[in-house]
Amino acid sequence: MTASPTSLLDRRLLLFTGKGGVGKTTLVAALAIEAARRGRRPLVVELGHRASLESVFEVETIGYEPRPVGRGVHAMNLDFESALAEYFEEHIPVKRVARTINRNKTLQKFFHAAPSVPEVATLNKLSAIEAERGSDGEPRWDPIFVDLDATGHAIMLLNLPAVMHGLIGDGPMRRLVDGFTTLLTDPTRTILSLVTLPLELPAQETIELHQRLVGHHEVALGVLFVNQVPARPLTPKQAGMLDRLEHRSRELGRTTLVDDVAIARRAMRYHANARGQINRMLRDIDMPMVELPLVAGRALNLDTIAAIGDKTLALLDRGQQREDTSVTAMPRR
Amino acid sequence: MSGIDELLLRQRLLVAIGPGGVGKTTISAAIALRAAELGRRTLVLTIDPAKRLADALGLTGLDDRIREVPTAALAKQGVEVPGALYAAMFDNAASMDALMQRVAPDAETRDRVLQNRVYRAMAGTLARSHAYLAMERLHEVMNSGDYDLVILDTPPARNALDILDAPSRLASFLEEGVVKWFVNAGSKGRRGLRARLMQGSGAAATKLFEVIVGKELTRETIAFFEAFYSMREGFHQRASDIQQMLRAADTSFVLVSSTDATHLTDAEALASGVGERGVNIDVAVFNRGYERLTHADPLAIVTSAGELDSPTTIRLLFQDELHHHEREILTSLLSRLHEVREQAAGSNARALESVARLRKLLPGDVLALIVARLDGDIRDLPGLHALGPYLAADRSGL
Repeated sequence: MTASPTSLLDRRLLLFTGKGGVGKTTLVAALAIEAARRGRRPLVVELGHRASLESVFEVETIGYEPRPVGRGVHAMNLDFESALAEYFEEHIPVKRVARTINRNKTLQKFFHAAPSVPEVATLNKLSAIEAERGSDGEPRWDPIFVDLDATGHAIMLLNLPAVMHGLIGDGPMRRLVDGFTTLLTDPTRTILSLVTLPLELPAQETIELHQRLVGHHEVALGVLFVNQVPARPLTPKQAGMLDRLEHRSRELGRTTLVDDVAIARRAMRYHANARGQINRMLRDIDMPMVELPLVAGRALNLDTIAAIGDKTLALLDRGQQREDTSVTAMPRR
Repeated sequence: MSGIDELLLRQRLLVAIGPGGVGKTTISAAIALRAAELGRRTLVLTIDPAKRLADALGLTGLDDRIREVPTAALAKQGVEVPGALYAAMFDNAASMDALMQRVAPDAETRDRVLQNRVYRAMAGTLARSHAYLAMERLHEVMNSGDYDLVILDTPPARNALDILDAPSRLASFLEEGVVKWFVNAGSKGRRGLRARLMQGSGAAATKLFEVIVGKELTRETIAFFEAFYSMREGFHQRASDIQQMLRAADTSFVLVSSTDATHLTDAEALASGVGERGVNIDVAVFNRGYERLTHADPLAIVTSAGELDSPTTIRLLFQDELHHHEREILTSLLSRLHEVREQAAGSNARALESVARLRKLLPGDVLALIVARLDGDIRDLPGLHALGPYLAADRSGL
C-alpha cells in the first residue's frame, strides 16, 4: 500500500527508519520545522537515547517529557526505562507496588531481557501520545514524527503482534497489542517512510527492508528519501574535453592539472555509482522517491535544516522527485 | 615495520568496535588479509557482511561455519599469502542455538530451552543477544588453538560497549533474585523456611507478571528461566574467561569510524566508555577519511590548488590551436575542475580536523590510520589487499 506523497503530513504518526548515519534525524527535524511553519503542532519522538536530536536543535537535553526545541517544534526522547515505568503505573492499581517495581534494579533487568517487553512499553507510550487531546478536543500533537533508530527497530515494533501471538491471553497486554496493531496498520493514521543513501550497501538493505515490509507487514509506506545525492560534477561537453586536457597537461608536466582531472574523474564515478543505486531502487521499490542533495560542509545549522524541510515538502506537494526534474518524471503511484 | 603490522605480528586478538555504517566489516577483513600476508594464520569473525564482501570471503552459506578463504585471486596478481585466512559469519539465531547446545548440562535441558516459545522469540528477534553471542563465539575460537590471530568484527550494537558488558551481565542476571523467584515459583515440593519464603515472593512476582502480560507468557517465561538457570555455572565460567581475554596484553581494540559528524560523535562516546571499562584503544582507523590526490600515490591528500587562471593555463597548454567554442568549454571545464578540487580539499580539511579532535580523546600512543575514500564497494580480495598501504601508514603525525 503506497500513500500519495502529498498527504504525508495528513497522517497522525509518521515513522522514519534507516541505517544509522543516513541523516534520518536531520531529515525528521527539517520536516517537523516545516510542519510547524505551516501552522501545525509537530512533536518529534526519538526512540532510544542517541543525543542526536539535541545536537540538531542545539539544546541541552531532551528528556521523556516533550519540550519546545525552537521553531515551533516540540521533541522528546522515548527511552525504554521511562516508558516501562509509566506502563506499570498505569497497569498496577497499587501505586506503591508500581513504584517498588520501578525502583527494583533486578526487576528492571528482568524486563529488559523478557521478550518484547521494551517494544510493548514503547508502543504503549506512542499510542498514548497519539491519543493526547488538548482542552479544545483537538490532538495535542499534529503530526508526530517518530525517529526509529535503526531498520531493525522498525521491524521489531511491527513484528510485535506476530511474536506475541499465542503467548498472551486476554489480559491487558492483549488489548494493548491489539490496539497497536490497529494504529500501526491504519493507513489514514500511520505511515512509514524510509531514509537511505545512494550507496550500494544502504541501497541493498533498503530494497530488502522494503521487500520484507511489503511481504509481511500491513503498515502503509510513505516516501523513500535518498539523502546526500551528489550533483553531476561535469556536463557531457566538459567531460568530453577531459582526455585532451589530461594528455596535454601530462606532456607539459602540469601535475596539478593532471591531479585535478583525476579528482574530477573520481567525482564522476561517485556520481555514476549514486545514479546507478538510485535507478536500482526506483526499479525495485514501489514508493515515491525524493532525492536530497549532498550538502557540502556538513555543519548544518537550523536555517539550513529549515530550508531543506521547506524544499522537501514543496517537492512532495508538486509530486516531484528532485529539484531539477521535470514534472513528467512523476514518482510512481 | 610500520602502521598496524607490528601489532598484527604480536597480538592474538584484535577487536574492531565502532558505530554502524562506517565499513567496520570491510576494515576487519582487510586487516585480517594483511595479517595473513604477513604469515599469520588469521581468522576474521564477522557479522552480516555485504553480499559482495561475503562472496569475496567465500561466506556464501547461511550457516556460521569457519571456512578457509581461497587466495588464488591474489596469487594471480603476484601477491603472496604465506599465512592463511579463515572467515566465519555470525548467524544470530543459529549461534544462539549452538550456544545452548554447548552450555546445556544435558540433552533434556537443551531441548526444553530450544523448544520454548519465549526462547524462540528472544533468540530470533532480540538484537541485544548479538553482543553476548559475539563474545561466546570468540571464546570458542580463541580456545581452539587453531589461529595465531583472531579479528573480531563486533555487531553494530546500539551501544558497542555491550560487548564488554554482555558476558558478565548475562551471568549475573542468572544469579539475580528475580530469576530465582521465577524458578522457585515454578518448581514444586521445595521445603524449609527459606524455600517457602522464596516461594512466597516468587509467587507474588509471578502473579504480578500474569496480571500484566497474561498467563501463557508467564508460564513459558518461567519454563524458560528454569531451563536457563541450570546453565548458570557454564555461563559464569565463560563470562570470567571472556573478561580476562578482552583485557589481556595480547588483545588490542581497534576503533573504526568514518569522518562524518554523526559517526564521530558515536565514536567519541564509545572511546570514553571503553576507557572507563579499563580497556585501551590501541588503533583508530578513520575509514573513507579523505579524497586521494592521485591513483599513483594513495597516501597523498588533496589540498587546495591555489588560484585559478584559466586564460593563462589555456594559453600554456594549447597556444592558439583551439576553436572558439572549444575554448569556451575548456574555460568552463577548468573552473569546474577548480571547484571540484576546492570542495575535495575543503572536506579533507574538515575531516582531518575531526580526526585530530577525536585523537585528543584517545590514549596518546594510539596508532592513527586513515583510509581514503574509494570509488566503489570492495568486492574481492584484491580490493581488500588494496587497503593494505593505508593500514601500513601511521598517520599519527597528521
